[in-house]
Amino acid sequence: MAKEKVKIDKNLMDKVRKYAKLSGYSSAEEFIAHCLEKEISKIDEADSEEEIKKKLKGLGYIS
Amino acid sequence: MNHPIRRRDFIKSGLRAASLLALGTSSGLVTKAQGKKATSRKVIILGFDGMDPRLTDMWMKEGKLPAFQRLTVQGGFHSLGTSIPPQSPVAWSNFITGMNPGGHGIFDFIHRDPKTYIPTFSASATADASKTIRVGNFVLPIKGGTVKNLRQGKAFWQILEEHDIPATIFKIPANYPPVSSKERTLSGMGTPDLLGSYGRFRYYTTEPKEIQEDIGGGEVHQVYVIGNRVEAKLPGPINTFKKDRPEAEIDFKVFIDPQNPVAKVVIQDQEFILGEKEWSGWKRVRFPLIPSQSVTGICMFYLKEVRPNFKLYVSPINVDPGNPALPISTPESYAKELEKKFGPFFTKGLPADTSALDNEILDEEEFLEQDDFVLEESRAVLDYELGRFDSGLFFYYISSTDQRQHMFWRMLDEKHPAYDPALAKKFGGIIENIYREADRILDHVLGNIDKDTVVLVMSDHGFNPFNRAFNLNTWLRQNGYLRLRNEFKQEDLEIGFPTTDWSKTKAFGLGLNGLYINQKGREAEGIVQAGPDKENLVREIARKLEEFTDPKTGEKVVLKAYVARDVYSGAHVDEAPDIVLGFNRGYRISFKSPLGQVPKDVLEDNRAKWSGDHMGAAEIMPGILLTNQPFKAESPALYDLTATILDVFGIEKPEGMIGKTIFE
Repeated sequence: MAKEKVKIDKNLMDKVRKYAKLSGYSSAEEFIAHCLEKEISKIDEADSEEEIKKKLKGLGYIS
Repeated sequence: MNHPIRRRDFIKSGLRAASLLALGTSSGLVTKAQGKKATSRKVIILGFDGMDPRLTDMWMKEGKLPAFQRLTVQGGFHSLGTSIPPQSPVAWSNFITGMNPGGHGIFDFIHRDPKTYIPTFSASATADASKTIRVGNFVLPIKGGTVKNLRQGKAFWQILEEHDIPATIFKIPANYPPVSSKERTLSGMGTPDLLGSYGRFRYYTTEPKEIQEDIGGGEVHQVYVIGNRVEAKLPGPINTFKKDRPEAEIDFKVFIDPQNPVAKVVIQDQEFILGEKEWSGWKRVRFPLIPSQSVTGICMFYLKEVRPNFKLYVSPINVDPGNPALPISTPESYAKELEKKFGPFFTKGLPADTSALDNEILDEEEFLEQDDFVLEESRAVLDYELGRFDSGLFFYYISSTDQRQHMFWRMLDEKHPAYDPALAKKFGGIIENIYREADRILDHVLGNIDKDTVVLVMSDHGFNPFNRAFNLNTWLRQNGYLRLRNEFKQEDLEIGFPTTDWSKTKAFGLGLNGLYINQKGREAEGIVQAGPDKENLVREIARKLEEFTDPKTGEKVVLKAYVARDVYSGAHVDEAPDIVLGFNRGYRISFKSPLGQVPKDVLEDNRAKWSGDHMGAAEIMPGILLTNQPFKAESPALYDLTATILDVFGIEKPEGMIGKTIFE
C-alpha cells in the first residue's frame, strides 16, 4: 500500500506516542490512522444527516 | 419498453418508502369496506385540523358559523384537551389509539437516534433493501426494503373491524403507512412526497436575486432563455438501483411565445400550454430508474411570470394515487378508486406548499389558489363517501384550517413582527373564511344524516400567535448545559450538533418541543448518570426554563416544562424526551433550534410568514369538540373520543386505553 508523509507538531507527536502506547496501539502511526478514520466516519454520517434534514425541512415548522 | 414500477418493486429497491402491508386486491375498483355489520347507530367525525375554541366561539357569537351554533344548541360545544405537546402527529395519535404519547410512542414530529444524535422522522421508518446484487452500474435489490408505521397501539378502526363494523377513514394524520386494515383508509399528514421528504418544490427562474442556496422545503434552479426556449431538469427520487445513487431526473423544455405571455411545456410525451399565472392541473411524470423500470408521480406546474423574467414553479412530486409507488391506502385499490372517479389528487400530507409561500416563491394569492385545489378535491370525496355511507363510521379530515392559520395569523394582529397593513387589508379575512368553509362542510353533513347518526366535530389543538422564537440550544449553551467543540468559531453555531462537544454537554434540544439529557449508556457519548444525577438535572433545567422571562416583553417564555415521567404513561415512556416544553402564548421554538443549531441570540422576533402556531402548553392550546348529542364530560380530551366511539358501538375499551366516553 502506498504511503504518504504528513508533518505534525513535535509536542503533539510526543503526546501521540505516549497515548498510543498507553492505549495499546502497536505504533503511533496506527493510533493516528485510527483517529482519522473515526473522524472521517463522523463526517460521512454528517452527510446522511444533511440528507435527512433536507427531507424534514419541507415540514414548514423548521428551516 | 419502460414499464412503470410496481409498488412492491419500488419498496424493494429501497427508494425511501413503503410498508409491510399485504398488497390487497386491485381488481374491483369500487372497494368494499370489510366490516359487514349494518349498525343501528352510525358515527361521522369531522376533523378540522387546528380549529381554535376561542375563534370558533367568537365567530359563533357573531353569527358567522350557523351550523356550529346549531350543533352547540343540539348537543354541546366544549374545548377539547389536546396532547403534550400539541403537535398534530402526537395529538392525532392520542385520538387514534386512545392513549397518551407514553402509550403510542409518538412524542414530536422529530425524534432522534440516540446512537448518532441524528434527527429522524417520528412517524415512519424506512430501510433500504437488505440484500442486493451488483450488475455493472446497477445495484439490484433481492430482498428487503421496508417502511414501517412507528405508532404503537391499535387504531380505533382496527378494533371496529374486529367487531365487523365498517369504517372509512379519509386522510387521518399520523397513519402513514396505513396500518393493516381491510377498511377503506387513505393516509394523510405524514405521507411523504415521491422523494420520501415532507415536500420539495422546484422553482425555475432567470432572476439571479431569487437564487437561494439553502431553502427549506424546495430548490431554486437558475435557467436561461435562449431563443425563446428554456431547458431544465425535474429531479425525482434517489435511484438506488444505480451504484452511486444519483437522483432520477427528467429533462423538459419550455417554449415561450415571442409576443404573448404564454408558454408551452414539453415533458416526456406531454405538451401543454400555460398562460402567465396559470396552473397546469395534475401532470403525471415517469422517472426512469433502470432500462426496464420506472416510477410515476404527479405534480402541478405554475407559470408565475413569462417576462421580463421567466419563473416556473413545480409542486412537490406527489405519489400517484392511480399507480401508487408507496402504500397510501388500504386496500390498495381505494386510492385507485378515488383516482379513477375524480382524477389525480394530493396525496402528500400537509399538501398546501407553505414552504413556497414562506420563501416568497408563491405569493399569498397563489398559495390560496393551490390550497383551494386541496379543498375542492376533498369536498368531492366528502359527497362521494356521504352518498354511500350506510353503516359504521366515517372519518373526514380537512388540513386547510391548520395551514391557513399558520400562514395568515400575521394578518390578524398589528403587533405581529410580520404584520403588513396592505396585506392585512387584502387577506385579513382568510382565517375567518376558512372557519366559515368548515361551517359549510358541517352544514352539508348535517343535511345528509339520519336521526341515528352521531356527529362529532373535533380539532387536534388550538392556535395562537407566533411572535417570538426561542433558541433552546442557545439557552442551554448560555446556561452551561451544552458545549461546542470550538466555542469561538462562529460558523459552528449554524452547524449545531456535528460540532457539539458531547463530552461536556449535559442536555440538548431536538424537535419542536423536546429536550434530552445526554444520558450515559443511552446517548452514544452520554455523560449524565441515570438515577439521582439525571433526576436532579431534569428538575433543575425544568425549573430554570419555567423561570426564564423574555427581556423584551417581561413575559415567561416556557409556561410549563413537563417532565416526561410525570405526564406520560405506558410502555414507551422511556423513549420520550426528558423534558417537553409547553410554550407561553405568543412563543415557540425557533426555526433553527429543532435540528440542533445554536444561533447567537436566545430569543428573536419571528418575521416569517409562518406566523401562527400551536406549540404551547397543552393547558392553553385545546382543540374543539361539538356533537349532536348532549354530553356531560367536564374536561373531555382527545383520548376520550376514542373510548366514545367504541362506546357508541357497544364495544368495551381494550386494556391500555386511558380515555372514557363523553356520553356517560
